[in-house]
Amino acid sequence: MALILVADDEFLLADMLANFLRDEGHEVVTAAHGVIALQMIRERRPALVITDFMMPLMTGLELAQAVKADAALDGLPVILVSGAQGSTGREHGELFAEVFDKPYDLQAMLAAINGLLSAG
Amino acid sequence: MVEHLARLASGVSGLDAILGGGFVEGASYIIEGRPGAGKTILSNQVAFAQIAAGRRVLYITLLAETHDRLFQSLSTLTFFDREKLGDGIKYVSVFQSLRDEGLDGVVTLLRKEIQRQAATLLVFDGLLNARERAETDLDVKTFVAEIQSQAAFVGCTVLFLTSTRTKDSSAEHTMVDGVIELCDDIAGVRSFRRLQVRKSRGSRSLGGYHQYEIGEDGIVAFPRLEAVLARTSVEDAPAALRMTSGVDGLDEAMGGGLPAGSITLVMGPPGSGKTSLGINFLSQASGEEPALHFGFYEPPSRLMLKAASLGLDMKDAVASEAIELVWHPLTENILDKLAHHLLEAVRRRGVKRLFIDGLGGFERAAIHPLRLVTFFAALTNELRALGVTTVATWELRDLSGAGMATPMPDISSVLDNLLLLNHVDTGAEVKRLISVLKVRDSAHSSRNHDLVFTDKGLAVVPDEIGGKLPHVAHPRGG
Repeated sequence: MALILVADDEFLLADMLANFLRDEGHEVVTAAHGVIALQMIRERRPALVITDFMMPLMTGLELAQAVKADAALDGLPVILVSGAQGSTGREHGELFAEVFDKPYDLQAMLAAINGLLSAG
Repeated sequence: MVEHLARLASGVSGLDAILGGGFVEGASYIIEGRPGAGKTILSNQVAFAQIAAGRRVLYITLLAETHDRLFQSLSTLTFFDREKLGDGIKYVSVFQSLRDEGLDGVVTLLRKEIQRQAATLLVFDGLLNARERAETDLDVKTFVAEIQSQAAFVGCTVLFLTSTRTKDSSAEHTMVDGVIELCDDIAGVRSFRRLQVRKSRGSRSLGGYHQYEIGEDGIVAFPRLEAVLARTSVEDAPAALRMTSGVDGLDEAMGGGLPAGSITLVMGPPGSGKTSLGINFLSQASGEEPALHFGFYEPPSRLMLKAASLGLDMKDAVASEAIELVWHPLTENILDKLAHHLLEAVRRRGVKRLFIDGLGGFERAAIHPLRLVTFFAALTNELRALGVTTVATWELRDLSGAGMATPMPDISSVLDNLLLLNHVDTGAEVKRLISVLKVRDSAHSSRNHDLVFTDKGLAVVPDEIGGKLPHVAHPRGG
């Protein structure tokens, strides 16, 4: 049981993932774009972040860079979920713990999350 | 001093002509139509054309299908380039901003995003959802005006997509610079798609309906021929030259051959020799006089066989590209698509000899038959101006004993020359006859002549006395 932040401008996808994770016993907060996500990360200190790539105001890549640059957030794992830019995410292995291409398999996502949480 | 506005090429074949030169840069448009009409395809097609031109696009959605589902369906289209996603074009949903912060929140977010993306094109998919969030018409007006002014400030063109037909008096309709409606419709049992520019500020668009289709290249629009070619694309410069018909004896009967750059209609019942006459005409093709067969009946393979059986083998001419064979089966065709395809094939090779077999193929494609006279006028004027000598066929019912009917009232006025083929049952045999009814501005024979097959295709039998074609009528004006 951990606090997970889901950042995605597409609320249907964010809601679907959030509900799935809640069913699995986690606490979940959602953010509609990177700027809110970063603000919530600093306030709520989640154990894990799952972010989309293409979002208004701040992309998933920019969000991961901001997390990386903030010493206070050292070690926070960020998973990238993308419909089109998985490859860009994979080029930034230092920023993302995992990269999933949409549409992805929920069980595989769950396994990755549990792996990262138990390692952390 | 008339100012010319900067334009943005749509990348949609035929659409720029309809819009009077493309979208106006920095202007805003509504693209409306029922779900499935092609709004998303159209706007993405415009978007990817912009990216290919080195520009940047922001694509905003409000509770539409998910973006990865959108990419999935776009990936079946040739213009879509997955590599450009996230850089040249960015897709973002603003639904949560609308839900949490209202229309003002969306406007604020868009202002920042347009600048972040350095977008020169903004697509806003879901104007209807924004409208439903508005409490008054004034809210809608304010919302559209704010997005418009922000976009115009940075020279960004806006396409608002909406799935309802906006009323002419509606807030959004009054605000935007242009409204394009996409629609699918039924004529008899067939469906067809048509678009209409319902509003066009600062642009002389082509009014009325224009058909379009959706294929793997996206949308292709076919501007109504008589509208887009109300005037010919080049100046008509008639010359008093004659071209051989390729039929022995016919040139004499016509007073010296076919006037160059004229339209000849060959009428006759089935089996009277119309296609054979056309093959004779095409057989005169050369590198200097490229020919085009534009037909609805025989596919190219059968046409080659027919030509060979007439003793006029076309294989070499087709191989050397002196002749091109274009075939549109007589199934469901789009009238203006046929015409644009024909003119494209003519312009591409500088065609001088054109055989159309036959005009009935165009007639069958017409959803509104009343158009045909103006349509044929535009087509034939353009062919003349391009210096094409055209022979076209028109099928008549068997004429034996029946009164002769021209294809349609007024059509004779768009033709220069008229030939009539017929069969006559003499009791011992069925003879083929040809008569020259009209040659524009020229004397011609006024007799019925026998038409026979020789080892070089069709031939007109001259009078037996002295082998001359007798009795040339006085010249008649067209």
